[in-house]
Amino acid sequence: MILTELKPGDKGKITDVSKVTALVQSRLLDFGVLEGKEVCYKYALPFGGPCMLEACGQCIGIRRKEAMCIQVEQS
Amino acid sequence: MEVALFGNPNTGKTSLFNILTGSYEYVGNWSGVTVEKKVGILKESAGRLIDLPGIYSLNPLSKDEGIATQFLLNESFSVALNIVDASQLERNLHLTIQLLEFGKPVVIGLNMIDVAKSRGIHIDEKALGKKLGASVIPIVARTGKKCQFLSKQLTPREEDAEPLHIDYGEKVEESIDQLVSLMPEDVRLNKRWLSLQFLEGNKVVRENLTSLIDKEQLNKICTELESQIIIEKDTKSIKQYLYAKRQQFISEVVAESVEKGQTSGRTFTQTIDAVVTNKFLGIPIFLLLMFLVFTLTFNWLGTPLSDGLDAFISGPLTDWLKAGLTNVHATPFIQSVILDGIVAGVGGVLVFVPQIFILFFFISLIEDSGYMARVAMVMDRVMESVGLNGKAFIPLIIGFGCNVPGIMAARTIEQPKERLLTTLLTPLMSCSARLSVYSLFVAAFFEKHQALIVLSLYVLGIIVALVLAKIFTFFIKSEGSVFVIELPPYRIPQARTLLRSTWDKGKGFVRKAGTFIFGGTVAIWFLSYAGPHGFDVPIDESFMAVICGYIAPLLAPIGFGTWQAAGALVTGFLAKEVVVSTMNVLYFVPDGQTLTGIISHFYTPLQAYSFMVFILLYVPCLSTVAVIQKEAGSKKWTAFSIGYALVVAYLLSLVVYQGGQWLGLH
Repeated sequence: MILTELKPGDKGKITDVSKVTALVQSRLLDFGVLEGKEVCYKYALPFGGPCMLEACGQCIGIRRKEAMCIQVEQS
Repeated sequence: MEVALFGNPNTGKTSLFNILTGSYEYVGNWSGVTVEKKVGILKESAGRLIDLPGIYSLNPLSKDEGIATQFLLNESFSVALNIVDASQLERNLHLTIQLLEFGKPVVIGLNMIDVAKSRGIHIDEKALGKKLGASVIPIVARTGKKCQFLSKQLTPREEDAEPLHIDYGEKVEESIDQLVSLMPEDVRLNKRWLSLQFLEGNKVVRENLTSLIDKEQLNKICTELESQIIIEKDTKSIKQYLYAKRQQFISEVVAESVEKGQTSGRTFTQTIDAVVTNKFLGIPIFLLLMFLVFTLTFNWLGTPLSDGLDAFISGPLTDWLKAGLTNVHATPFIQSVILDGIVAGVGGVLVFVPQIFILFFFISLIEDSGYMARVAMVMDRVMESVGLNGKAFIPLIIGFGCNVPGIMAARTIEQPKERLLTTLLTPLMSCSARLSVYSLFVAAFFEKHQALIVLSLYVLGIIVALVLAKIFTFFIKSEGSVFVIELPPYRIPQARTLLRSTWDKGKGFVRKAGTFIFGGTVAIWFLSYAGPHGFDVPIDESFMAVICGYIAPLLAPIGFGTWQAAGALVTGFLAKEVVVSTMNVLYFVPDGQTLTGIISHFYTPLQAYSFMVFILLYVPCLSTVAVIQKEAGSKKWTAFSIGYALVVAYLLSLVVYQGGQWLGLH
């Protein structure tokens, strides 16, 4: 399933981030967010706005279309 | 001795810099406050501390991050001071490893141990230091705890440290050996480090290496390794592979030096975030906060203070000076230059110091608290619709203080085209200098609705910027906008840091009053004192009136076709505050009265609003033009930034004035 299909507040384990834009992928790697890490989907802002994730002890904001490229496994 | 300060963004790097150097530097709580390398003198030992922009890795993604890597390649230093966030240890150690691989002595300041403890993380700094081969000192940079001790560790070393050596596996090591053997003997930098950074895809290092090694050979080694690694190691890129290897090393280090306990439930940050980045309330809360800031700045605090200062300067101060000048038998010429030129001009600007400092105080508060990153997040959707990203909103807000640092802050934007757009649009943000013009006009014409009228101008600036961004993106094709931001935990700003930060931003305004505005007003006074028929002519026959009389007719359709208004606009290019000083000189304020009192005879409220709209948009000031030239690196774009602003300002003022008249306003 994709990250945005998680219910807000639910956690999942990342299985694939390779479809995300290269630049965002690099930055996520800097944050330590990559395959195998647990991520909590916090919420998305309205009108297709960005969404907030919590991973590796930090909060990260990314656009929804990027979040929709992240595959997760519900945990 | 030179000490270079490295660390991830939001780890308290700039706070540590302030404590160690005793001098003040700008502190903020969002990625990219340090947009240039800054230098301070160390208190404890003889040496200089160089503050570099916050980076997650030595492989840069944005222009400001590149500065740190450039520094390593081109500058010499004795010790690297690496500040590490104890509550985010694993992520921070990726940078530490790259620094240790570089081979210069590294001292690690383990910051925020208090935060880490409250999250149940206990770090054995001795074990950590031993595993890494560097001294680790736990500190709390916000309170200064143990920082003096850390400072004493910063001593010059006889020899460079033994670089950290991680085994990256057979394939990578082979490629490193190949690269090292290709490099000439006299390379000053650590060859293994250069090779590793190159393989990781570091653009700055790559550029450096292409001057030493044939490009074809470099590419060949890189692609060969990539294809081997992807097949054999089940990974997506060399970068990710190296990351995994480092992570493995970090996990070993952490296993032996860190103990993790139970964490408490919902944190302070989560509670606030539930409100300020709330789905529906996020934008309204932001607007409400901005309105509150403006009401405080104008209606509640700033205006009474400014009025008091104004009354003092135009009343007692002028009388004392006059009496003093008469006593020393100063000539009428000297009396005129001091009283009508300097006191009227410089004093006219200084009266706005209270309002400007209050506004700077609130901007500092927003920066230091961590709310800035949330604003970027909340505004991203709006910015995306005009081809920018939420981060571009930060330079715009900083631009409210002064456009110059605003434009510099645009460096944190990753995509070059988005950065250029932000640079071009930041001058539309109403800076504090323009505030002095509004303050003058709203006090004279819109006494009851001061905050609302001023806020309308700020909002107009933002709207014009957004509309133009949309138009410009048709011509400047973007590579596709991206947005990814770290939302740092909220921190209650410390009073001392806030006050210093406010002063640091505001002192430029005071300094300008003593230099630019001083010189400018003396020149303007002279041009209004002298005319084609000699000195001390009636002001209507002065050079100023004659020269600006040619421009005035052009301004008639937008409501202020007088030579005084034209004169104020022309001189306003030096600095926007000069508009106020020029008016003080040109409208020749009689004794005991203020410009606010008499200006209402020269404009109608509609003309005044049209004038304010024109002032908001018409051209970036001289210092802003200089920084646009530097950041955009092109005369064409600089000329464009001036040209489009003039056209837009004229059109909008025309709409306001003619439209207002049509509606029956005056």
